[in-house]
Amino acid sequence: MTAAADALCSHCLLPIGLRPMRRMVNGESRAFCCYGCCIAYLVKSGSSEEWEAAWLLIRLGVGGFLSMNIMLISLLIYAGAFTGADARLVPWVHLLLWILATPALAVLGGPHLRDAWHNGLQGRLTASTLVVLGVGAAYVYSAISVLAGSLHVYFDTATMVLMFFTLGRYLEAAGRARAARDLGPLLAAESEWATVVEGASQQRLPVREVHAGMLVRVKPGERIPVDGMVLEGESQADEAVITGESRPVSKMIGASVIAGSINIDGSLLIESSGAGNQTRWAQICRSVRDALIRRSPTQRMADRVLAASGPALLGLAIATVFYWYEWWPFDQALLAGLAVLVVACPCAVGLAAPLATSLGIGQLARRGCVVRSPAALEALARVRLLAFDKTGTLTAGKAHLAGIESEGVEDDEVLARAAGLELHSEHGFAGAIAAATAARGLEPVATRNVRIIPGRGIRGAADGQAVAAGSAALMSDLGWPLPPSLAARARVLEASGHSVVYVGWAERVHAVLSLDDAPLPEARSTIEALRRCGLRVALLTGDLAEVAQRIALAVGVDEWEAGLSPEGKRVALDRLRGTNGLAAMTGDGLNDGPVLAGADVGIAVGSATDLARETADLVLPADGLWMLPWVIGVARAVRRTILTNLMWAFGYNLSAVALAALGLLQPVLAAAIMAGSSVLVIVNSLRLERLPVPEPAGGFTAPARQFPVLSPLDRSASAVAVGSSAAIQDA
Amino acid sequence: MTHYLLLFLAGFAGSFHCLGMCGGFACALGRDPGGRVATVLRHLFYNSGRLTTYCFLGGIAGSLGQLLCTPEGLAVRLLGGSLDAGQRILAVVAGVLMITMALQFFGLLQGFHRFAVGFGGSTFTVSLRSLLGAHGRAAPIALGVVNGFLPCPLVYAFAAQAISTASALPGILTMAAFGLGTFPAMLMMGGIGRLLEPTWRRYGVWLAGGFIMLLGVITIGRGLLPMIGPDGLSGHGGHLW
Repeated sequence: MTAAADALCSHCLLPIGLRPMRRMVNGESRAFCCYGCCIAYLVKSGSSEEWEAAWLLIRLGVGGFLSMNIMLISLLIYAGAFTGADARLVPWVHLLLWILATPALAVLGGPHLRDAWHNGLQGRLTASTLVVLGVGAAYVYSAISVLAGSLHVYFDTATMVLMFFTLGRYLEAAGRARAARDLGPLLAAESEWATVVEGASQQRLPVREVHAGMLVRVKPGERIPVDGMVLEGESQADEAVITGESRPVSKMIGASVIAGSINIDGSLLIESSGAGNQTRWAQICRSVRDALIRRSPTQRMADRVLAASGPALLGLAIATVFYWYEWWPFDQALLAGLAVLVVACPCAVGLAAPLATSLGIGQLARRGCVVRSPAALEALARVRLLAFDKTGTLTAGKAHLAGIESEGVEDDEVLARAAGLELHSEHGFAGAIAAATAARGLEPVATRNVRIIPGRGIRGAADGQAVAAGSAALMSDLGWPLPPSLAARARVLEASGHSVVYVGWAERVHAVLSLDDAPLPEARSTIEALRRCGLRVALLTGDLAEVAQRIALAVGVDEWEAGLSPEGKRVALDRLRGTNGLAAMTGDGLNDGPVLAGADVGIAVGSATDLARETADLVLPADGLWMLPWVIGVARAVRRTILTNLMWAFGYNLSAVALAALGLLQPVLAAAIMAGSSVLVIVNSLRLERLPVPEPAGGFTAPARQFPVLSPLDRSASAVAVGSSAAIQDA
Repeated sequence: MTHYLLLFLAGFAGSFHCLGMCGGFACALGRDPGGRVATVLRHLFYNSGRLTTYCFLGGIAGSLGQLLCTPEGLAVRLLGGSLDAGQRILAVVAGVLMITMALQFFGLLQGFHRFAVGFGGSTFTVSLRSLLGAHGRAAPIALGVVNGFLPCPLVYAFAAQAISTASALPGILTMAAFGLGTFPAMLMMGGIGRLLEPTWRRYGVWLAGGFIMLLGVITIGRGLLPMIGPDGLSGHGGHLW
C-alpha cells in the first residue's frame, strides 16, 4: 500500500485525517476515514456468504420500519400533538396505527405463532406461547378499542415487544453463527476436499477417498488434508491443532506433514501416508462433533427448570390481570399481565451454557486438546485433586544416562569404551549411552568380537583388551574384581531407584554408569503452575518407592504412593479424593486404563488410540503436559461464564417477574431488557474467544537432579527393557 | 422554522458525505427489472427506511434529553439548578459534540470509531451484506432501516442536536429535517450512479462540516448566552403542529 493511497479512505476515497482507522480486508491493509466507511467497505468487498438468517433480517427490517413508525405516531399522541382542535383526528390516527400494526404483527409475530402452534399441538408451552398470548391480547384489546372509539390503544406496545424479541433472536443467531464460523474447520475435516495429482491432471476428491500413496497438492493458506511426506516444495506449517504449539514449523522435501496443520506460505506436493479419514485430525474432529452434540449437566438442569416454569408463569400472568383488575382499569391490568409474560421469557437461560461450552471445546481442539463431552469440561473446572502417573507422564518413559561413577579413569574414556560395545546392541540402555557419548562429542572405541550375553550385558575386545558392560552378575562371571568404594556407590544408586551398568576392561571394573528415567523438563514448572491454580497434586505409580520419592522430589510433588497395581491406583485415587471433591488422573493412556476410567476426569497425554477408545475424558497432544494448566484455565473460564450467564439470566427473570407482577414494569421496557439480556449472555460467552493462548510457564526450567544432565534423549525411541541389576519397572 | 431549514440545508450539504459512505448501498440497489416505476419505488422504500430510523433516533434522543432535564432528571439533580439550567448545560454539551464531529469532517480529529468495535461491528457488517444480496420487494426497506443505524458522524452530530432539544417531538423533527436533506442526493444516486468526483465531494464534506460547526456554535450559544433562552433560536415549542 503506497503512502498516497494511504491518505485516502479505501471506501469513500476522501482524505483521511491524522489517525486513520486500519483494518485487514481480504489479506490487505486498508485505511478508512471512519468506522461507518469501514463497515460499508466490508459489506461491499468482504467474501459473500450465504446466511440463513437473511430472511429473519428482512422481517426485522420491515418490522422495524412499521413499528418505529407506530412508535413515532404514538410519541406524537403522548406528546399532546392531537389535542384541542386536532382531537377529532384521534380516531383516524388510531385506525392508521391499526393498519400499520397488523402487517407488523404478521411479519414479526409469524415465526413465534408458528412455533407456539407446533409446540401447542404436542401439548408443550414454550416461550413463544407466552409471547403470542401476551401480544395477541394487547392487539385484540386495542383493535376492539378502535372499533369502540376508546382513547387507549396499545399497538405500539404490541409491536415494540415483538420487535425486541425478534431483535434478540437475530442477535442470538448472529452470535451462534459467529461461534459456528469459529468451529467450522473442526467440524469439516471429513467433508474437506483434497487436490489429488495423477500424472498431469489434478482432481478434487473428498478427503475420505484419499488413500496411502496418492499425491496431494496443497496451496499456501490451505489446510493440509492428509498425513504424509513432502515430495516437492518448501513451506512453513502451523501444527497447533495437533501439537498445541503455534510456532510455524518449516517443511522441506522429505519432511513429514500432519493432517489438520495449515500450510502457510509455499505450495507443497505431498505423498499421502494413510487413509484420509484415519488421521488424528479426523479423529479430533469426530470427537469434537460428538462432544458438541451432548448437553452439559448445567444445561439439562436449566432446561428442566424452563420446561416446568411455562405453565406456572402463564398462571401468574393471568392472576396478575385479575388481581389488578380489582383496582385498575382493564387495559392497565392487561398491560401488567403482558409485562409478566414478556419478562418471563427465559431466552437468556437457554443460551447460558451451549455457546460457552462449544467455544471452550473449540478453543481446546484448535490446540490439539480433545474433550469428550461438555460434562467432562465442567468436571475439569471443579477438580481439586490432580493425580499423575509417573512413567511416560511426568517422565519421558525412556532411559537416560544420569551419571558416571568411576575410579582411577576419565569419564570420557569410560563412555567411549562403553559406547564402542553398545554400538552392537539394540538394548534400550545402549541408545542412552550412545546418545550421551555423541552429546559429549566422543568417538566410540572400535570394538571387535562383540558378544551379547542375554540378561547380563555385552562383551568384546578393543585395543587387545577384553571390554565388558552389564550387570554385577556379568562382572562376577568374568571374575573381574569390583572395588569396594565403587560397589558402595552403586548400592546407593540402586537404592535410590537408578538402573546401573558396570563397565570394565583389563580384567577389572572401572566405572558404574547410572541410568534413569528422567522427569520431563516441563514437569516441574507445570506442577508449580497447577499448584498456583489451587490444585492438590499427587503421584501414583507402580514403581519402587525410592524411584517415586526421587521423581516426586524432582518435580515438586509432595504426596506420592508407590508400588501400586493399576487397580491399586484406582483405590488410592478414591482414598485421596475422599475429602477433596473431584479428582482427575493423568496418565499416558497405555497401562492406566482402569484409573483413568475411575477418575472423575481421566486425562491422557498423547495417546491417539484413546481418542477412539474413549477411556479418557480429555486427551492432550503428545508432549502436551505443559498445556494442562492452560486447559484447566479454559475449563474454569467456561464454567465461570456459564455460571455468570445463569446467575444473570435467572436473577434477571425472577426480579423482573416480581416487578412486572407488581405492575411496576412497562412491557416495552421489559422486552428491551429481555433482548439486552440475551445479548449480554452472548457477548459474555463470546469473550471466551479471546482467552490467552497457551504458553509454557516461564519456559521449561530443567528440574533439579542428583546427577549432571548429559544429554536429552529422543523421546520417540522405544521404551527400555530390563537389562541390568535394577529394572525400570513400569516402563 | 429557520432552525429546521438550517438543519435541512446541513443535511443536504452532509449528503456529500452520504454519497461516499452510503451511496454505495443506493448504487448496489440499482435498477429494478420491473421498470422505472419499480426502480423509483425501490429507492423510495430504501430512503424512507433510512428516514424512519433517523426519526426514531431523534425521538429517542429528544426523550432522553427530556428525561435529563425534568426536575427529577439527572442533569438538574446533579447541578441543583432549575429546569432551564439543565437544558442549557445539555445545549453546551451537544454543541461541543457537534463541533467535535465537524472537526472530524475536516480531518482534524479521529477516534469516535473506537467506541463501536467487536461483536456489534461484525454483526452489522454481516447484516448489511446479506440484506444487499437478499431478494424480495421488502428487502430495500429493511436495508434502509439497518443502514440508518450505520455509525456515521453526521447522524451522531444531529442526534446530539436532537438531545439538546430536550423533547421528543422537536427531536423527531430535527432528525426528519436532516434526513429529508439527504433525500435528493441519495435518490439521485440510485438512478445515475456515482457521478461526482472525489474532489467535489470533498468540498461538499467540508461544507457539511461548516454547517455542523455553525449549528454547534449556535447550540452552545443557546446554552451560554443569558439573553437567548433555550428555545430562543430553535423556534420550536409545540406551535409547529
